[in-house]
Amino acid sequence: MIPAGQKELETDLRFGPAGSARVVLRGRLNARTATACWNELEQRLCGVNLKKLEVDADGLEFCDGGGLALLRYLSMGLMTPEAAVSVHGLSTGLEQLFQGFTLDDYKALRPSSSVKCHPLPEEVGSGVRQVALDFREQVEFLGNVTRNLLPTVLDRKRMRWAEVGRVFELAGANAVPIVSLVSILVGLIIAFESTQTLAKFGAQIYVVNMIGIIMVRELGPLLAAVLLAGRSGSAFAAEIGTMKVNEELDALQTFGLDPIRFLVVQRIVAAILLTPLLGLYATFLGVAGGVLVALGLGFPWPLIFHQLTTSLKVSDIIFGLSKGVAFGAIVSAVGCLRGLQTQEGPSAVGISTTRAVVTSIVLIVIADAVFSVLFYVLKL
Amino acid sequence: MNDTAEIIINVRNLKIGYGDTVILQNINFQVECGEVFVILGGSGSGKSTLLKNLIGLYTPLEGEVWIEGVNIVTATGDERRNLLHKFGVAYQSGALFGSMNLLENVRLPLDELTALPEPLKELSALAKLKLVGLASAIQKMPAELSGGMQKRAAIARAMALDPRILFLDEPSAGLDPVTSADLDLLITELAHHFGITFVIVTHELASINKIADRVIMLDNRTRSIVAEGRPEELRDSANPWVHRFFNREPDAVASGLHL
Repeated sequence: MIPAGQKELETDLRFGPAGSARVVLRGRLNARTATACWNELEQRLCGVNLKKLEVDADGLEFCDGGGLALLRYLSMGLMTPEAAVSVHGLSTGLEQLFQGFTLDDYKALRPSSSVKCHPLPEEVGSGVRQVALDFREQVEFLGNVTRNLLPTVLDRKRMRWAEVGRVFELAGANAVPIVSLVSILVGLIIAFESTQTLAKFGAQIYVVNMIGIIMVRELGPLLAAVLLAGRSGSAFAAEIGTMKVNEELDALQTFGLDPIRFLVVQRIVAAILLTPLLGLYATFLGVAGGVLVALGLGFPWPLIFHQLTTSLKVSDIIFGLSKGVAFGAIVSAVGCLRGLQTQEGPSAVGISTTRAVVTSIVLIVIADAVFSVLFYVLKL
Repeated sequence: MNDTAEIIINVRNLKIGYGDTVILQNINFQVECGEVFVILGGSGSGKSTLLKNLIGLYTPLEGEVWIEGVNIVTATGDERRNLLHKFGVAYQSGALFGSMNLLENVRLPLDELTALPEPLKELSALAKLKLVGLASAIQKMPAELSGGMQKRAAIARAMALDPRILFLDEPSAGLDPVTSADLDLLITELAHHFGITFVIVTHELASINKIADRVIMLDNRTRSIVAEGRPEELRDSANPWVHRFFNREPDAVASGLHL
C-alpha cells in the first residue's frame, strides 16, 4: 500500500543547462497516474526548447500498459520533437516489452485519418450499377423460382410438405392474433372517422358500404400482406441468411441440392396458400369493426346486412383473394431472395431482414396499384 | 503449491448447471497469483460453463467464487464493476465487435473506462496489437480475419486495461502449430514478466505441457474434478481416464465405438 500523504506517482522534472532536462519517475505508473503525469509534463514542457530529455524510470515499482504508452510517447519524441530522449532504469521485463514497440512501428502502424471521398458522378454511377445488379439478381431469382416451382410441387418426395406445413403454422396460424387486433382496429378507426364527415350529409349508413368495399377490395389483403412482410418475410430472410452465414447453404449445394428447390419453393407455396386466407380473415374482422361502429350509431342489424350485401359483388371478393395470392408470392419470394443474398459478417443477417421488409412493402404497394389499374380496365 | 503465494481466485463448493440440470458439482480450487492455471476436460465436460460462472456471466447454483477477495456471485453495483475491470476475458469465438476494426476493438475499453490522453490510448492499443502479432491488420474488420487472428485480437482486447487476471477460453483451438506456439510463448512471457494470472480452458495437450503451472481436470462422468496437479503429475496419474487423456489413448469401449 502507499503510505498516506505520499502520492502514487512522483514526477520530478528538473531543467539542466543548455536545454537539457531530466524527469525522475517514482512510484506506480498506471492508467490514472499516467494521465496526470502526461498533463503535468505537457504543461511544463510546452514551448520549452529542449535539446535533451532524460527519463529515469529506476524508481518505478509498477508500470502498466498505459504507463508504458507514456514512456513510449516521451521516448519517441512526440512531446518534445526537438529533443533527443532517452529512457533508462526500466526493469528487464519492462525494457524488453518497451523495445518491442518502436517509433518505426508507430509510424508504420498509425492509422491514416484521411477519409476517402468519391466525386458525385462516381457515387451516382456506382449507385445505378448497384440497382441494376440488384434488378438482374431479382430477375434471375424469379426465373429460377418459376422454373423450379412446378416440378418441385409435383414431385411429392422433393416437395417436403412437412416444411410447408411448418411455415404455414408459423407464418399463418401464429399470425392470427396480431392480424385480428390490427384489422378490427383499422376497421373501427376508418368507420369512426368517416361517420363524422358522412353525418354532414346525413349519409351515415353508407359507412357500412364504404368499409365493405375498402376492406374487401383494398385493406384486407394489404393489411395481411404488410403484417406478413413484417412477421414472416423478415423471418424467411433471417432463417436463410443465418443458414448462409453458417455455411449450411454451402453444405446443401455440395450434396447437389438446390437451395431454391429445398428451401424457397416450400416457403413460397406456403405463403401463396396462406395469404389469401389471412387476407380474407383480415377483411372479415375489418368489416366487423365497421359494423360495430354502425351498430353503435343505432342502425338495426338487418339494414346493415342489406347495405353490405347490396354493395359487395362476388367479383370484389375474388379481386381481394387474387391480390392475396400475389402479395403472398411477393413477400415470400423477396424474403427468400434477401436471405440468399446475405453477405459475410455479423451484421449481414440484420441487413438482409431489413431489406426483405422494405422491398416487400414497396413491391406490395406497387402491385396494389397495378391491380387497381388492371381491374379498372377489366371493369370488374 | 507454495504456501506464501497470494491466492487470487478461490472457488469453494461450486455447483453449476442450468435449472435442474447439474453440470458440475463439488468444485474446489485455488489459483495463485502469477500462475498459469489450466482447466482441462473432454468435450462437453462443462469447461466453458465453469469459466462463465467464474467470470460472473452465469450464476452458480451453489457456492462461492472469490476473486481478489470479492465474491463475484454476490457482488453487486460498484463492487462488481471494479471487480470486472480487474480481469480480461478472451472468448472462444473471439467475440470481437463486428462493426469496429481491430484498433477500435482494442481501444474501446480504454476509451470507455480510462481518462488517458488520446495519443496514449492509441499507443497503448497499438502496442497490445503488436504484442499479439497483429501489427499489420489493425485497420481490418473482424470479419476479414482468420479464426486465429480473431483469437489473438480478442486476447489483445482482453489485455487492454492491463488486468491482473486473464481468462482465455480455448485460445489455441483452430490455430496452426506455429501460431499456437507463439501464443504459448506470449502467455508464459506475460505470466512471468508481468505476474498476470492466467486461467485457461483448453484441451490442447501440446500447449498444456508447455505453459501450465497447474492443471485441474474435469470429468463428465463424475461431474467434478478428477485430478489436480502439475502437468507431469497428471501424465503419470493412476486414474485411467486422466492417463488416457494425457497419453492420447482411445476410449473405444466407453464411447461405444466398435472398430
